[in-house]
Amino acid sequence: MTDTALMPETRNIVVDETVPHAPDVIWRALTDGDLIGRWLMAPRGFAPVVGTEFTYQTTPGGAWDGVIHCKVLEVVAERRLAYAWKGGHPDNVTGYGAPLDTIVAFTLTPGDGGTRVQLVHSGFVLPRNAGAHENMGKGWRQIVPRLGEIAGEA
Amino acid sequence: MTDAFPIEAVFRALSDPTRRAVYERLARGDEITVVDLTEGSGVTQGAVSQHLKTLKLAGLVTERPEGRKVYYRVQPDGLAPLFDWMDHYAVFWRDRLGDLRALLKDLDPPKDPVQ
Repeated sequence: MTDTALMPETRNIVVDETVPHAPDVIWRALTDGDLIGRWLMAPRGFAPVVGTEFTYQTTPGGAWDGVIHCKVLEVVAERRLAYAWKGGHPDNVTGYGAPLDTIVAFTLTPGDGGTRVQLVHSGFVLPRNAGAHENMGKGWRQIVPRLGEIAGEA
Repeated sequence: MTDAFPIEAVFRALSDPTRRAVYERLARGDEITVVDLTEGSGVTQGAVSQHLKTLKLAGLVTERPEGRKVYYRVQPDGLAPLFDWMDHYAVFWRDRLGDLRALLKDLDPPKDPVQ
């Protein structure tokens, strides 16, 4: 492939959508431990208070035990929640389970007919070539069943 | 054939095993002609040409005519839409936010359900 494909780069994941609910309901879903467990993962030790450290347990990968270490960075009631999201293990060079030092931020903006929910997961350092190509195999299994959904979104 | 979302063309192009093999062959080398691609591929030259056309429409392959020959090679950023989509966390968050939408519906059901 090309040299540009081999260059590391930092990338953000952005999901931006409007849901037909008021900010207070969404805020509950983002900040109540039991509710978080119903859509994301069950947090251990979460409180919507800046400085709070908590964890999520996900699937281990290689030398990584699957624990995501988080720390609340920003809390603006019904508007914004941001926390650090760190995981991975240095023994995993690329792909799933590689070291991750990122930030997850939710921003809620009330509007006509609903609330805009912006999720930005920032700080990914991706050796694109290695990572992406390694992921091709399992990526396809994840992606192909989603074709219908993509078409639905279009 | 146009796609509003480039990733759909990429999916479609790479979902066929033979076409994927053609693409992988191109990804390994520099430039190659249809004749060379056909050799040892087990499919006809016409079929290879058709596959190349689809790959080209998906933005995965470019061509360069030289004399009577046409050389094909991989389009450098062709797979970018796929990489973006398949990134683990991109998939993860799409799934999770889908679950969040479902939870919000439970917590805050629509007030005037459509009959």
